[in-house]
Amino acid sequence: MGGKCPHRNVKKRRYSHKTARRTKFELKGDDMVYAQLNKPDEERAPLPLDEDLPGMGQYYCLHCDRYFSNVAVRDEHFKTKRHKKRIKQMMGPAPHTQLDADVAAGMGMPDNGPKLMSM
Amino acid sequence: MRLEKCWFCSSTIYPGHGIQFVRNDAKIFRFCRSKCHKNFKMKRNPRKVKWTKAYRRVHGKDMTQDSTFEFERKRNRPERYDRNLAENVLKAIPKIDKIRVTREEKHHKNRMKGKKQKLQMEAARELEQGISLVKAPSVLQKDPSLTLPKIKVGVSQQQSEDNHPMEE
Repeated sequence: MGGKCPHRNVKKRRYSHKTARRTKFELKGDDMVYAQLNKPDEERAPLPLDEDLPGMGQYYCLHCDRYFSNVAVRDEHFKTKRHKKRIKQMMGPAPHTQLDADVAAGMGMPDNGPKLMSM
Repeated sequence: MRLEKCWFCSSTIYPGHGIQFVRNDAKIFRFCRSKCHKNFKMKRNPRKVKWTKAYRRVHGKDMTQDSTFEFERKRNRPERYDRNLAENVLKAIPKIDKIRVTREEKHHKNRMKGKKQKLQMEAARELEQGISLVKAPSVLQKDPSLTLPKIKVGVSQQQSEDNHPMEE
């Protein structure tokens, strides 16, 4: 009696909760967030109204890719340590891209040919 | 039949090898081995993993700027085929590769230039600090041959005129 059940896996149980799965699968990649942050203010579109999101999708944290129900909750989120760590990370160097991998492997910059005349 | 580079370790991915991940914003991540794919899924930064080319480039361990890198590049505009040009390029490829290898070896040699002197200084320091573990300090004062020589004595060589055994 008391033998270990062969089907109950601690690792699977540990990683199947909501926060872990969201962190791993649903968050935007670092390069997407970085590109959004470095986009000039004119090109930033206002957040679209979406009834499926909390707060109609209007209270959004771009660094952490999270939606909040109202301004107070979002401002409370801005004080959290995780958010501050995320801000510091996004202020650092640009994330790794395929271009960086190509250049590190000994290839030159891509050749896009001559610039076409605009009609 | 295009040869791609791995997103993580920058190795060449030959056709039929590796795996490819297309994110829902249509950005493509190519991996040469499951090792690189697993590291990507663990959200590791290639610039901080020591066995990747990106790390070696950032930390100056590989040659980074050279004119031979310009020959291999992604060309997004197709060229019209020219037989003479193609033959000349195929003839030049091994020459360019040889030049690149030579320059990389030179870069490595320059990077390792101060290593021998550094090793000697470390050995001398270790001997000075650790000799008491082998011999007691009182014995060292009696027998100075085990320590480093403090004074260099110039030895004068005298030519004796009486010793000429080979000329006989």
